[in-house]
Amino acid sequence: MSERTTLYMSILLVAVMLGLILAVQFRAANRPANTIATDRAKELIAELKKVNQEKENLRKEINDLTLKLEQVNRGKSEAIKALQNELEKVRMLAGLVTVSGPGVEVVLDNPKNGEGIMTSGMFIVRDEDLLKVVNELWGSGAEAIAINGQRIIATTEIRMAGPFININTTRVVPPYQVLAVGNPDALANNLELPGGLVEYLRDLGIEVTVQKHEDLTIPAYAEGKPS
Amino acid sequence: MWMGIILAVVGLGIGLLIGFNIPVILPQDYAKYMSVATLAALDSVFGGIRAAIEDKFDHGIFVSGFFSNALLAAILTYIGDRLGIDLYLAAVVAFGVRLFQNLAIIRRHILKNNTK
Repeated sequence: MSERTTLYMSILLVAVMLGLILAVQFRAANRPANTIATDRAKELIAELKKVNQEKENLRKEINDLTLKLEQVNRGKSEAIKALQNELEKVRMLAGLVTVSGPGVEVVLDNPKNGEGIMTSGMFIVRDEDLLKVVNELWGSGAEAIAINGQRIIATTEIRMAGPFININTTRVVPPYQVLAVGNPDALANNLELPGGLVEYLRDLGIEVTVQKHEDLTIPAYAEGKPS
Repeated sequence: MWMGIILAVVGLGIGLLIGFNIPVILPQDYAKYMSVATLAALDSVFGGIRAAIEDKFDHGIFVSGFFSNALLAAILTYIGDRLGIDLYLAAVVAFGVRLFQNLAIIRRHILKNNTK
């Protein structure tokens, strides 16, 4: 029985091996028909090399462009910063921000010895007087000026409207307190020059006081809003 | 006897199935050795069939002959390749001749049995 079993086992083993060998050999022999020709393979290899090189080039280009993009972005942020600085400066010049610093305070008031404050005549403070003061202050290097809380900007008007003076279309009443930020000494000296503006105004009978301050705060221009 | 034939057919089927389904593909360089080994194996199988018909079948001789013939044929071809001689031709001729001889003898035995 075991004799027969080994016989069958050997037959089975050999048969399996034969089948295996035949199948493998069959596939190996048939393969060339499918994947022919070293020429084609060489061609493909060359193509692969070319494509790989192309890929490498493109990768380099990507790196290059990324670098450029980074530089541009950096430049952009710098440009934005510069523009913001510029904007801040311009806003200050335009009177859109509150300014504080050393400066002078000039107070002009109508003469007390007149018949009355509202009487028309020579001896009340007129728009021209304020304009002259403002002009003088600008000329002396003032950075920002406000009259009774009204910031003086490029489009600010100072004019008589009946018996009153309008500034920024807002009525202001005496005493007129003119605040100017700038070098206090230069501003005060220019105003009080012998034969200068203050003397002239005093000659007209207007009460003028000039006072230096270490720290003044000038409000921002508020459009349409009376301050 | 019939059991052996059935086993042989089943084994062949299993072997073919495995051979066609394994993902390994024989490299082109080894296909030549394999072909000679296949020839040797086929020769051994036909020798075994002939021996079985003549009632001289010995499974020890059969199995050892199958493997050693295949291996030797492959080694011979390899050596021939190294030496620059087409030694595989010798194997092809030797095994081819024996194959046809065995086939002829088997054919005669079958014809004789049928006419009896």
